[in-house]
Amino acid sequence: MKIKAQTAMVLNLDKCIGCHTCSIPCKNVWTTRKGAEYMWFNNVECKPGIGYPKKWENQDVHRGGWQLKNGRLELKAGGRLHKGINIFHNPDLPTIDEYYEPWNYDYESLITSPERKHQPSIRPRSQLTGKHMDLSWGPNWEDDLAGASETAVGDINFRDLDHALYLQFRNVFMFYLPRLCEHCLNPACVASCPSGAMYKREEDGIVLVDQERCRGWRYCVSGCPYKKVYFNWKTGRAEKCIFCYPRVEAGMTTLCAHTCVGRIRYVGLFLYDADRIAEVASAKEDTDVYPAHLDILLDPEDPEVTDRAAAQGMAPNVIDAALRSPVYKLAKAWKLALPLHPEFRTLPMVWYIPPLSPIRDYAEPGQESDLIDRLRIPVRFLANLLTAGDEAPVRLALHRLSAVRHYMRSVRVEGQADEALLQAVGLDRDTTEAVYRLLALARFDERYVLPTTRPDASQLHQFQGRCGFNPDAA
Amino acid sequence: MDLVYELIFTVFPYLCLTVFVLGHAYRYVTDRYKWNARSSEFLEKKSLFWGAILFHIGIILTFVGHAGGLLIPQTYYDLFGITGDMHLSIAHWTGEVVGIAALLGCLLLLGRRLFNLRVRAAGTFNDLFTLGALAIVIGTGVYNVFFGRYNVLYSVAPWIRGIVTFSPDPDLMRPVPLSFKIHVTAAWALLGFSPFSRLVHIWSVPVFYFFRRHILFRRRATGGTGAEALSSPAPGGKEG
Ligand code: HEM
Ligand code: SF4
Repeated sequence: MKIKAQTAMVLNLDKCIGCHTCSIPCKNVWTTRKGAEYMWFNNVECKPGIGYPKKWENQDVHRGGWQLKNGRLELKAGGRLHKGINIFHNPDLPTIDEYYEPWNYDYESLITSPERKHQPSIRPRSQLTGKHMDLSWGPNWEDDLAGASETAVGDINFRDLDHALYLQFRNVFMFYLPRLCEHCLNPACVASCPSGAMYKREEDGIVLVDQERCRGWRYCVSGCPYKKVYFNWKTGRAEKCIFCYPRVEAGMTTLCAHTCVGRIRYVGLFLYDADRIAEVASAKEDTDVYPAHLDILLDPEDPEVTDRAAAQGMAPNVIDAALRSPVYKLAKAWKLALPLHPEFRTLPMVWYIPPLSPIRDYAEPGQESDLIDRLRIPVRFLANLLTAGDEAPVRLALHRLSAVRHYMRSVRVEGQADEALLQAVGLDRDTTEAVYRLLALARFDERYVLPTTRPDASQLHQFQGRCGFNPDAA
Repeated sequence: MDLVYELIFTVFPYLCLTVFVLGHAYRYVTDRYKWNARSSEFLEKKSLFWGAILFHIGIILTFVGHAGGLLIPQTYYDLFGITGDMHLSIAHWTGEVVGIAALLGCLLLLGRRLFNLRVRAAGTFNDLFTLGALAIVIGTGVYNVFFGRYNVLYSVAPWIRGIVTFSPDPDLMRPVPLSFKIHVTAAWALLGFSPFSRLVHIWSVPVFYFFRRHILFRRRATGGTGAEALSSPAPGGKEG
């Protein structure tokens, strides 16, 4: 067993209000350069919808991620030979139109306009060509279901559902899906990179592109099933979410998490068994991947795990952070958070707590025995999104969320603790209160638990007072 | 006259080769950040398809042909029973096919680079110049294959081998027709220019990809074992 630490995030979709506040600091800090205007390392999509870039989830179109072929795990786009042959023209590379053509406005012309009868107006101007353009797609084009009656038909999470029914006004549902790089345990982008420029960091699992070694072969862009590696059209290199590593190394959380006004994000560590990655990613059925993935996430409270990690050289502050990890609790201990499209087999490490939703039209008691089936967002849709279609884990998470609410309501409103629903979903009173605390009240340092990276070995303090001088010179 | 031949067919090739070698080294050391293929497929992929594929297949096979035909002396081919005439005829026919492919691809790429607004906006003058220079070299090469009617095996080929083996003999180029002279001179010039263009991507062909493992891990660049880690994490900031 080789124990490694992985930096990870959990997002509580039950609380996301779709304000896009997370995307803005990310954009401002990381992607305002030329060629990067269209990139959103963090973006917030509205479901149902086809997202950014268009239809990113549909691997029949994009051919990202892994697949099992004759029991062997291979890149869906094809192996090394296929890449060698297609290197001059990558058939699976999306074009910028599938994201959107970035544009800006001549704001200055508002000020310099001569006096006219009508207010001056400004037209969008392409940031690619500098020419005026008509907008036909853009970031968040589908926000709050705009145009969903046309585009959302292509949302693959409607699999086994009648999308026409759910896109009727009286049945319609929606929720937000903030997305960033998953910093996968089995990253298809890394495996696709011919130059070996992409790598996972040994210490924290953050996936990065070595900008000096990227030669622009662009297979990572098509290889990532989440479409979270972007191609800088000006420099010809790949860029992606860096999990704000300069902040994370200093023990600070990512910008998207730090600024989230809904406080939906949790950042912390997982300890996992790195020897079993290949086995988990090759799980037989698509629905087997999530349970297997869960299985290699190790319990930091198990002394055998921490002893072994320490023996293998894991720093004590890393182990300490893993012990207090909010993401471990949400994902494994309480099984509230679920991975995004585990069937892509990259073993993603940004997980989601499925959203509860308003109860649909009143049904006769007993007609639909399970309350969860009367929520506006169909369980099947969430299962297609989060568990490769297996409804049981989604039901468990939703039942637990609603049981916690029921219990807390009985305590706070009725003044009499009602534990009736807890037992059925496998929660006890202490756990329920802990869940409530983490989901509703948790402060900054409970939601974000990250170790600082060990200090630079060069012992900077030794240079104090010597910098710029040469005391050894005669 | 002797001096002119000496300059064009000895000094100039060595100058270009020197710039070629030192230029690549210099660029690799100082400018690795811009060392890449500068793909424009992300902006436009339909017309790139035929251009990029025809051009690359054509040019790579052309390289193989040049290497095999010019660098290996005819006497070696004679050993295997391939006479000079057979050699020429093979070179002629394959040259026509791959040369046309490369030229056509190159012109398609050039047209795309000139007339596609996005590709033009994202590209640089250097990109355009590179393609233009390639078009000239390939164009004169194709012209020679079709209309040259000249046996290079006992003139141009030994001259190039002479340069490669540091025993140059510019006199070998005397009887060679002008169109061949232009072709080889333009080719040397392009070689000298290539380190300063996107053509550096040729030397980054990812051969190691075929042998390496899929998932790569790297340590942070700092030294140490981790045992000297800070004892307690600092919370990320303050919030109400
Ligand atoms: C040996 C293996 C080679 C590989 C793997 C390779 C790969 C590539 C790739 C990926 C592109 C970018 C295409 C795009 O998406 O826009 C490209 C462009 C280009 N390559 Fe190569 N190449 C190779 C050899 C060569 C050679 C031998 C030459 C010429 C001497 C060459 C000349 C060019 C040129 C001029 C372009 C720019 C095309 C444009 O204007 O868009 N390549 N190459
Ligand atoms: S989500 Fe991130 S780590 Fe996973 S394949 Fe995509 S870019 Fe790579």
